[in-house]
Amino acid sequence: MSIINYASREIQFKIVYYGPALCGKTTNLAYIHTQITPENKGDLVSLATAADRTLFFDFLPLNAVVIKGFKTKFQLYTVPGQVIYNATRQLVLRSVDGIVFVSDSQWDKMEENIESLKNLRENLAKQNMDLDEIAYVLQYNKRDLPGVAPVEYMDFALNNGKKRVQSFEVISTTGQNVFAALNAVSQQLLYKFTKESDAGKKDPISVA
Amino acid sequence: MEAIPILTIDDVNAIDQVLSDFLQKSESQLAVVIDKGGNIISQQGDLNVMDVTIVAALAAGSFAATKELARRIGEMEFNALYHQGAGMHIFMNSVDENTIMVTVFNDQTTVGLVRFYTANASAQLEQVLNRLREKSANETFTLTKEDIANAGNLF
Repeated sequence: MSIINYASREIQFKIVYYGPALCGKTTNLAYIHTQITPENKGDLVSLATAADRTLFFDFLPLNAVVIKGFKTKFQLYTVPGQVIYNATRQLVLRSVDGIVFVSDSQWDKMEENIESLKNLRENLAKQNMDLDEIAYVLQYNKRDLPGVAPVEYMDFALNNGKKRVQSFEVISTTGQNVFAALNAVSQQLLYKFTKESDAGKKDPISVA
Repeated sequence: MEAIPILTIDDVNAIDQVLSDFLQKSESQLAVVIDKGGNIISQQGDLNVMDVTIVAALAAGSFAATKELARRIGEMEFNALYHQGAGMHIFMNSVDENTIMVTVFNDQTTVGLVRFYTANASAQLEQVLNRLREKSANETFTLTKEDIANAGNLF
């Protein structure tokens, strides 16, 4: 849950990148880390195994724009994608404000995508949260690889909750649409603070 | 309640007063109050020696992992954690169900002293945080669509 601090004039948000193993969550954070100016970012912390697989989480603190006199601070986390680390994923989801679900567009990964999204809903439910109620966007990653499913199929398989959410065709290795997805989920977070909060009612936007 | 949504200047002053007093008595370098999601509620002490945001995230992760370990052996949680370094040390303790206090100290003091003063500081913090949560439930922070539109892309 976000914290608004009137003493330091700061608002803190927590965004978690979720998705199946090897879908590109850490690559998303690594790309963002390379693009943000040093004064607006902290170190990218990776708690990974010797083989560079995420063991606990990756963490990247960022400062963003000032809104209404408040500096916005974002904490980006990834979860370990491997199935066995579910207890860890539940820990990382604590007090989450926004989710970027990173899916792997390759046909042979579709089952893992669907399983991971189901796991996300289950883990949120354990802390009385509902994916349909929080800021949430979808990434269809690895669009540059051969053997990827068309966007329409990705939508059919993954963007099928109570409401259609914003989805992005992403190539996290080159950074394509990585910031578009981050900006979208951040905007949704801010809209939660508007009285006439209608972030969930907006038409879904697909960015090619 | 999962977290503290709104901290006023008075709230932060009250927390910082407890932390300052604790730092002075325990002769520690840094004290940070965080929620169990890793968000910083307040901090006092020498803030230049490390990135407190990262310390908070890692401390919350470490505490959460340890809680799971505790549950596996039939404990509710280990309410304190101590990491001993060559020169710098970290002591973490549970303030209440949702809050952790993290203390960084060096060989100028001892873990016994830190642990001793932590007990009192935690009890005071718990009182402050309880008052704050009751009050905070009635406060709101709102933005207008114009505020958000004027900000443009955040990154």
